[in-house]
Amino acid sequence: MSKVDLSSIDQLTQRLAEADATIQALLSKEIDAVVDPRTSSPLLLSNAQTALRESEKGLRKSEEQYRQIVEATSDGIVKTDPTTHVVFANRRFTEMLGYEANEVVGSSLFNLMGEHDQRALLQSRRELGAVKDAMDIELRHKSGSDVSVSVAETLLSNEAGEHLGYLLVVRDVTEQKKLQSQLLVSDRMASVGTLAAGVAHEINNPLAAVIANLDYIAEQRGRLAAGVHPIQAYDSFLSEILAPLEDAADAARRVRLIVRDLKVFSRSPEEEPRGPISVIKVLDSAVRMAWNELRHRARLVKDYEPVPAVEVNEARLVQVFLNLLVNSTQALPEGSAERNQVSISTRVSGDRVVVEVSDTGGGIEPSIISRIFDPFFTTKAVGVGTGLGLAICRRLVTDMGGELSVRSELGEGTIFRVALPIASHIPSLIPPSRREATANNRRAKILVVDDEELILRAVERILSKDHDIVATLSASDALARCARGDNFDLILCDLMMPDKTGMDLYLELESVSPTQQEHIVFLTGGAFTPKARDFLAATPVEHIEKPFEASNLRAFVQRYLRAQAGSNSASPEP
Amino acid sequence: MPPIAIKKASLVLRLYVAGSAPNSVRAIRNAQAICDAHFASRYELEIVDLLEHPQRAFIDGIIVTPTLIRLLPLPVQKVVGSLSDAEQLLLALAGS
Repeated sequence: MSKVDLSSIDQLTQRLAEADATIQALLSKEIDAVVDPRTSSPLLLSNAQTALRESEKGLRKSEEQYRQIVEATSDGIVKTDPTTHVVFANRRFTEMLGYEANEVVGSSLFNLMGEHDQRALLQSRRELGAVKDAMDIELRHKSGSDVSVSVAETLLSNEAGEHLGYLLVVRDVTEQKKLQSQLLVSDRMASVGTLAAGVAHEINNPLAAVIANLDYIAEQRGRLAAGVHPIQAYDSFLSEILAPLEDAADAARRVRLIVRDLKVFSRSPEEEPRGPISVIKVLDSAVRMAWNELRHRARLVKDYEPVPAVEVNEARLVQVFLNLLVNSTQALPEGSAERNQVSISTRVSGDRVVVEVSDTGGGIEPSIISRIFDPFFTTKAVGVGTGLGLAICRRLVTDMGGELSVRSELGEGTIFRVALPIASHIPSLIPPSRREATANNRRAKILVVDDEELILRAVERILSKDHDIVATLSASDALARCARGDNFDLILCDLMMPDKTGMDLYLELESVSPTQQEHIVFLTGGAFTPKARDFLAATPVEHIEKPFEASNLRAFVQRYLRAQAGSNSASPEP
Repeated sequence: MPPIAIKKASLVLRLYVAGSAPNSVRAIRNAQAICDAHFASRYELEIVDLLEHPQRAFIDGIIVTPTLIRLLPLPVQKVVGSLSDAEQLLLALAGS
């Protein structure tokens, strides 16, 4: 008798039970696959195969449906990995940026945007995990141009919470931006309209002072002629006219200030230099413009702390402050200026310059305060406000990288707060040296061309003591003189003239007398036609802005002649 | 990966399936339902897809899918099929 190995019997029994169970399961069709013992790979049974095929077909169908939706949508859709490298991009997205379907896959989305936008996006991710509120950025088109888009994204993660990447919806807002910039211009025009009356009034007062004082001087001159003792009379005439002359000059300077403020409205949005500028200067400029509205309704309180420069566009910032000031003013009832107050303040908070404009008006209802920045929302009567002012303000401030916020207390008043980033580089504040004319300077021959006789005479008067002046009203005459061989050390020429413009003269001199062409300096009024703007940008010609003060003009001419002498001869300056 | 608590689990199971084939899907659902109902948090259930990891069938000597293996407590037990008979399954899991 051989010994029975109980453990192997157990194993055998178990194998038999297993086989039995397997056969039963097979019969009741509960088996999906049989493992091939040689390759140990599972072979799917036919019922499982059919089922899998069906479900795959269903999957493909639903995938196809999703794909169609993703491709048909008018927004760009991009899926990226956690490092923002593109995994998938729909056709709309690649079309938007001029790429072929698969050109963007694998490259980083950050390659398509500027540094500033990268930082903004990363910051939003740091704060919120993803760009949850749509953010306006610029993406680079394959051609190199910029495409304005609005981007929002969702964080993708699996069930275990692992970060798989981002799903971005990208909307082309170029058209929208165009419309917005049109709105900005039209708002600017509307502002000009409402301010025109006030400004006319503002200019009228100092102008009256100029005229009255000059009249008075002329009158005194009349008496001088009638006087008996010429020398005595002349002395008293001189002392009589000194004060009125100074007053007239003061008043005229005031007009110049107002006109300079108004010029910001005529600048087109393309030429928007962002410069480090002083918010206090801009605030004062806005106050001057709003003064006519303001002074009848409130006392103005200024609380300026010294603040560093901000890097924004001056014209836009004037527009913002002007809007806020007018708004604050309109919150106050007319006629009780001593009881109401509009305050403006500046201070530094962290890396921002903060400007607050507050009023002691009735405040804003809490129920509407969240809507006051919405476009076309207005509480003013029909025809008084467009409802665009604050919407545009916020837009402008956001474009400057700043924030515009509001705080209001019913019955107490409202505070608008503008926070702007401090300019990163501060330019040197050393003014250009102004060396006055000295006696040992040689007399130069200067041609002055301007169709405005008053300007011509003024320039002649200012310069004729030190130089020989030839003045003419027409560019044609100036050209004729140069063609004749007259030689001028300097040609001061108005840019915009009826007949032949300063630009024409410049271009025609090229063939007539190239050396004279080099001696042209333009006198400009500051407001240009697009043609003139392009011309000035393209030609290496200096220009002097009108109006100018006598001392400045003299200093400029002196500097110019000195530079010319320096470049014409190798001899060192004395 | 969630922390593995095999030592605490009184019941350790491994279920071999073939992708999302109907019986396999059913088996997963049934196994989870029964375990949740009777063993609450005291069990570990590992699901092995043989379409993805065919070589693993060799280790446990798997012939067909779905097959459920009880690794602990010993002895090792196998249940074949879609696990739709709850009573039998429970017997297999709880019995020795």
